[in-house]
Amino acid sequence: MNTRGRRRLAANSLAILVAVVTAFPIFWMVLSAFKPKGEVQSLDPRPWTAHPTLESFRQVLSVDGFGRYFVNSLIIALSVVVLSALVVFLAAVAVTRFRFRFRTTIMVMFLIAQMIPVEALTIPLFFMFRDAGRLAPGVGLNTLASLILVQLAFSLPFGIWMMRGFVAAVPVSIEEAAQIDGASRSRILWRILLPLVAPGLAATSVFSFIAAWNDFVFAKTFIISATENQTLPSALLVFFKPDENDWGGIMAASTLMTVPVLIFFIAVQRKLVSGLAGAVKD
Amino acid sequence: MRIVRRAAAATVLAATCLAAAACSPGTALPAGDKAADDKTGTLQVWLYNEAGNAAKEAVVSKAVAEFQASHQGVTVSVSYIDTDASARAAKMKGAFNDPNSAPDLVEFGNTDLPGYVAAGGLAEIGADLDKWKDKGDLDPAIAKTAVLDGKTYGLPWWVAVRALYFRTDLFTEAGLAAPTSYAELVAATQKIHAAHPDTFGIAVGGKYTFGALPFVWDAGGDIAAKEGTTYKPTINSSASQAGIKRYTDLFGESGCPVQQCADLTGGKTVDLFAAGKSAMAILPNSSRSKVDAGPVNGKYGVVPLPGEKPGSIAPAFAGGNNLGVMKAAKHRTLAVEFAELLASPAYQEQMYDAMGNLPTLKPVNAKVAAKDAFLKPFTDTIAAGTKFVPLDQGWAQIDAQAVIPTMLQQIVTGKADVAKASGDAATQITSAFAAR
Amino acid sequence: MSAPTTTAPAAPPSPSGRRRGTGPAAPPRGRRRPPLLLLLPAAIIMIPLVAYPIYQLGLLSVLDFGQAQASGGVPTSFVGLGNYQKILGDGQFWSVLTQTIGFAAFCVVATLAVGATLAVLLTRVGRISRLVLTTAAMAAWAAPAMTGSTVWSFLFDTNLGLVNKTLVSIGLNGFHEFNWFYDKWTSFLIVGAVVVWHSFPFVMVTLYAGIKAIPTEILEAAALDGAGTWATFRRITAPMLRPILTIVVIQSVIWDFKVFTQIYVMTEGGGIAGQNLVLNVYAYQKAFASSQYGLGAAIGVIMLLILVIPTVLYIRSLRRTGNEL
Repeated sequence: MNTRGRRRLAANSLAILVAVVTAFPIFWMVLSAFKPKGEVQSLDPRPWTAHPTLESFRQVLSVDGFGRYFVNSLIIALSVVVLSALVVFLAAVAVTRFRFRFRTTIMVMFLIAQMIPVEALTIPLFFMFRDAGRLAPGVGLNTLASLILVQLAFSLPFGIWMMRGFVAAVPVSIEEAAQIDGASRSRILWRILLPLVAPGLAATSVFSFIAAWNDFVFAKTFIISATENQTLPSALLVFFKPDENDWGGIMAASTLMTVPVLIFFIAVQRKLVSGLAGAVKD
Repeated sequence: MRIVRRAAAATVLAATCLAAAACSPGTALPAGDKAADDKTGTLQVWLYNEAGNAAKEAVVSKAVAEFQASHQGVTVSVSYIDTDASARAAKMKGAFNDPNSAPDLVEFGNTDLPGYVAAGGLAEIGADLDKWKDKGDLDPAIAKTAVLDGKTYGLPWWVAVRALYFRTDLFTEAGLAAPTSYAELVAATQKIHAAHPDTFGIAVGGKYTFGALPFVWDAGGDIAAKEGTTYKPTINSSASQAGIKRYTDLFGESGCPVQQCADLTGGKTVDLFAAGKSAMAILPNSSRSKVDAGPVNGKYGVVPLPGEKPGSIAPAFAGGNNLGVMKAAKHRTLAVEFAELLASPAYQEQMYDAMGNLPTLKPVNAKVAAKDAFLKPFTDTIAAGTKFVPLDQGWAQIDAQAVIPTMLQQIVTGKADVAKASGDAATQITSAFAAR
Repeated sequence: MSAPTTTAPAAPPSPSGRRRGTGPAAPPRGRRRPPLLLLLPAAIIMIPLVAYPIYQLGLLSVLDFGQAQASGGVPTSFVGLGNYQKILGDGQFWSVLTQTIGFAAFCVVATLAVGATLAVLLTRVGRISRLVLTTAAMAAWAAPAMTGSTVWSFLFDTNLGLVNKTLVSIGLNGFHEFNWFYDKWTSFLIVGAVVVWHSFPFVMVTLYAGIKAIPTEILEAAALDGAGTWATFRRITAPMLRPILTIVVIQSVIWDFKVFTQIYVMTEGGGIAGQNLVLNVYAYQKAFASSQYGLGAAIGVIMLLILVIPTVLYIRSLRRTGNEL
């Protein structure tokens, strides 16, 4: 084997090694979820199990209203993804395609919005939603709409920052050509620009999906009496009690929380890589 | 810089707002003392979701059926809330800040009471309870934990006290009897650890506040003492320091190795004892099921935690849960009646059978103790006198800021000596009480 | 994304190298009015839900406002800078701040180093290896912070952990029942590893995409000129990746400075005697857990200022060198 081949082999081996190390905790999580209770707690952990069981999963799935909470979380995450993509797209076009006063200020504001710990904002937000609920009960506390709105708001700043690059990467000449051909402003926006930045939107939606799916700070603050509107992570938090050391339950709950995100990822993976590539293409 | 100008403008705006008091952050008007009092409809009840909750749910649904049968047109809706400290706090704060989301009746930890009262969350139910036929049977020390400034805000539902679990097989082998004094306890850790180097003499934890406090109380110390209307820290008094030293001396070679035990909570010490890893542990009676499920089943006994003086019992922390009526309740009378039903002798006994929680009514306590010899050390401990944390909302802050665990951990890890660590704790306790 | 051939007459007046030039796709000058319609949806959502709460946060920070004020009917009082004085006068705040900056810096540097190295590695391996590594990275990326932290804690558990067991089995008996979270630095190391594990995939995938987007002709030309790997990287790859690196760096700094879940879960609320506290956990423990909203708001504002100042300075320096946001 020549040097080149040897180097390539080394690179490939290294990549596989890193992949194994990276995926190992996930593997261990799923494995522990399938192990019988006694084996998870065993002082002699083994990287396999001879007796896979659904015991832990059954325990987690037996949480009252599991299906309902799952659907709630899915509704919230998907609504946030779609709405956020739309708003982010428009705002990103505004800050990249136009030069106006306060443009930099606005961009800095988007950064500032991400710098505040959300825990600190829950109290003002709580009172706002309570008061909003008096005027419009549909968006008050205890509703899924309140969670969608607040998740949407907090997904925008990062999304707009990310999308800026994608929009900038589309040559202005394309739009100008369309304009000369007589296309209207809105046609250019929706029919020409939007499809071109779609991979970028896929990339940013990964972030909004993860944030919305994993949130429990807002969920536990806003959903007080309407237990039917609980989200999955806040319902599964019941299992995360290190004092009780029910590692089987914890791992099964973790697996069930992670899988939907993983599926979403794999669904957009192709778009994600090509989308991110688009951001830097010149 | 533009941003600076912007910030300056915002500051001016904020100042104007303050002057006009027009845009202060939202508040909830405190619900009037006379809450709504519908006699029909749905009674909302929040109870704790505990380990092994199915047994609790079974007992509670019996009570619900009984209550609905005797109250026409009333439905009782029970939700079991997550007991994780932050999730629980978020839920309760939500109920305080938005009276529309508040239930009628809540179960709450008795140490949370002062904070909930300050938040305007709980209704005073002293007058209602005076009419309750079982009131006279409440253990007085425990009843006191629901009283603040002479007003009663809760109905004690159950208590849990801790006692000393010890391995009978290891003690017999070492030729030892159950310890009856602190000195004997220490001697036992040394003798057993010498014979079994892999076994810890006793399982204690750096975050186990309620395992440590009995030593402080036994030495005549306390966290704080009330002087006039305010609490003053006494955690650094010489008596308290002696007690702290006795507890922290248990960390080490023959007791509980620091590396393993400095970060343990009370719950983790249960696991150590249940796994057969330690010869002794300070655990509540409810840990029994967990211990029985492991390898030391049938090989352990329980005695009251001995004090310094031979034959004495170190005062235990009277932990437990109360039932309280929310100020924003819409069914005040019904809520009191349902609380009285849950705390009635019959249901207290069933709750003991289901969850192992000790009853708060003395006759029921005597009854379950007669039924189950295992309980004797715990009822003896209660009879010897229990203690409590300062009944002040400052405690919520002391607890949240982990003042006591930090003090214990600084000592056992050698970062500070007892005098320095307890002095730091006293400073933080002072500021916690002053903050109110 | 190739431009239609009809664009020639309408070529933009700005230089074509806009990513390195005077700014993003600089449109014709003179459009100084904000495109209100495009910004409207974002404004409708963010002004009430983000800007107003931030303003309220500033207001809260100068008030004595706790649960008793929120719902107990206790009057709210103006305390001026009292909450700030309390925080800045707390000796623990300063040690936590130093620790937070150090920890965040470590995480940012490690994340970028790991992410960048692996991005370069991805360009050198075969299709299958690339797919395997990307998928594994996606899995780490997808894991919620809560579950990721819990799983890692389990792996490093004193008694049940696979790591201790493995180390003992290869003869390192010192790791028998070794408590990784006893020592301040091993705790930070493991928590840092988890933070990096969660965030390197974003950096890796983004930079890989960036590298792939560099036209091969440029790289070939460089090779013909006799530039080595390092020179190529420094002169061509790095400058072309700069815009994306800017975003990645700013975002990583913000995220890692605010880290909460990993520390809170893995060190059980800040470690032994608070040795592993970072600002966000400190704020929670000091203020929010005991409902001292005014005090918590002051910590939030201080954290904001600590992040805003370097960001604004950075953006100004970008401008001075002719680069626009």
